[in-house]
Amino acid sequence: MSGVTLGGLILWGIVTGVDLVSFLQAMVARPLVAATVAGAILGDPSAGVLIGMVLELFALEVLPVGGARYPDYGPAAVAACAVAAGRGPEALGLGVVVGLGLAQIGEWSIVALRRWNTTHVRRAAAALDAGDLKVIQRVQLAGIGRDALRALLLTLGGLGVALAVRRWPPVAGRPALLLLAVLVGIGLATAAINGKRLASGRTGLAWLTTGLAGGIAWLFLR
Amino acid sequence: MAVPAVMAFVRAGFRLLTVQACFNHERMIGVGVGYASEPLLRTLPDGVKGDRYRAAMIRATRYFNAHPYLVGLAAGALARAEHDDVPGPQIERLRTALVGPLGAVGDRLVWAGTLPAASAVGLAISTDARAGLGALAMLGLYNVPHAVLRIWGLMAGWRNGTRVGRALASPLLSATLRAIGPTATLAIGFAIPLVTARLVGGLDLAIWTGVVAGAGLAIMVLRWIAPALGAVRLGLLAALGIALGAIL
Amino acid sequence: MSVMVRVDDRLVHGQVVVGWGRAMRLKRIVLVDDVISGSEWEQELYRMGVPEGMEIEFASVDDAATGFARWNAERDHTMLLVGEVDTLLRLGAVAPVARVNLGGVHQATGRTERLPYVFLSDEEAAQLQTLADRGVVITAQDVPTAPPIPLAEFVP
Repeated sequence: MSGVTLGGLILWGIVTGVDLVSFLQAMVARPLVAATVAGAILGDPSAGVLIGMVLELFALEVLPVGGARYPDYGPAAVAACAVAAGRGPEALGLGVVVGLGLAQIGEWSIVALRRWNTTHVRRAAAALDAGDLKVIQRVQLAGIGRDALRALLLTLGGLGVALAVRRWPPVAGRPALLLLAVLVGIGLATAAINGKRLASGRTGLAWLTTGLAGGIAWLFLR
Repeated sequence: MAVPAVMAFVRAGFRLLTVQACFNHERMIGVGVGYASEPLLRTLPDGVKGDRYRAAMIRATRYFNAHPYLVGLAAGALARAEHDDVPGPQIERLRTALVGPLGAVGDRLVWAGTLPAASAVGLAISTDARAGLGALAMLGLYNVPHAVLRIWGLMAGWRNGTRVGRALASPLLSATLRAIGPTATLAIGFAIPLVTARLVGGLDLAIWTGVVAGAGLAIMVLRWIAPALGAVRLGLLAALGIALGAIL
Repeated sequence: MSVMVRVDDRLVHGQVVVGWGRAMRLKRIVLVDDVISGSEWEQELYRMGVPEGMEIEFASVDDAATGFARWNAERDHTMLLVGEVDTLLRLGAVAPVARVNLGGVHQATGRTERLPYVFLSDEEAAQLQTLADRGVVITAQDVPTAPPIPLAEFVP
């Protein structure tokens, strides 16, 4: 991996990590987007898209409703692509596993970040209660800085794990393909279960099956 | 009333992009709301040195929570109420009253509507197009409504002040709310066969058995046995099982 | 027992309608507040925060006392939501409140932290203690998945 590639991946990991909550929320943090770009940086766009698709199925479970906890897929997708790039279908399953693991750690890191933010806001309470603009600005900037640091650490850790997995793959050959198959199955079911819930009441199943029928028809007619 | 200049609204709009920068358990996104509202409060009587500005800023940074794209509705409405000289306690009541609806409407409209719908379209296009087009389509489909919502929110909030409930009750918004959930479900249904064909279509029967086993496991665990486990942790456990099986 | 009284200064919000709404299969939320029960614009907003299939009513403390027995006799669950300890106390004086859930009383001047989401002044703590001494079961619990914490543990 060249220095430029590495730098690009780290930068992209930070951008996607910060996008999730702290700044913009344009959803470049979504795995489909994050992995597609990471694949392109790594010179294997097709692996990026495939990794992105599998992780995106899992991400359809995520509804950040009412302060719920949610996985962080941005830096995770970067690490997943670093595992799979240039290695063919056998490495895709391993990439997805690394991505899921990192997404989980990302979830915990957000919990820790909010605790850190709370400490800062408590310390600044007097100035905030006086409406001091300078302090308000500082609190906001520090929050983004902490989040960027969080995303940087996640990305670096993820890339480290990715290099290790590339060097010593725990599974290879048929079992590696089977791993991918099982994960795709779990992802598809996750998408279906959660997709059905989005239409309110009892109409969910009807909308979902209509969509499924349409998709199957498309596959045969195109 | 000294209406803030256009630039003040632009500045507030940009600051709203950072509204969740210091998300915390005590004030949630309150500090972000204060930061974003500030440009709109500068033209209060006596300016930034005046008592009105100071009192407004103190109120503006207290506890607040809402969907990030709809916070503008609150920032605009609360700033307008300050300009309209609405009594402080009533402004605080408005603040409290906005948390529930802005959260509920945003969650349904965006997190449980536009986002999964755009995601499904992105997935479908990713299966059958040049690499990158799916992600690009997803970003576009998602961010056009996203930007519209942010801009509309700030302006509608400012126009309506304490009567901001009217903006939320708009027929267009409620029609969209009714339609967006089923649209997302339909789009996800459509994407599933395409994604399946793309990811495992060319592989043999044993691999297909793995897909069916994974899907069956997920439905059993996530629907009935342990919904709180979540798909990510289930995927990790399944991977661990397969790795152990392969090693032994 | 189908009526639960919750003290939450954020009133109708996600934790209440999504968290408790689903866990308790809530049919109705009654927002008990003397000002809101007479304020049209506030009611307009609170109605927007409630999902389809859930009712919201607005009541003054006196209205709530009148309706209490009726809601209590129903099989469907009702949550009475008040924003302040003082309102709870006035409600407790005119209605047979049996159990109270402290869901969120946040930082304000004069209050000290008892739990991450419960801040009380000494006076409010004493008021709650009086209610508890009369046999009302008071626990703190922000979301249904968290364990309820008895009053005695944070107001010694």
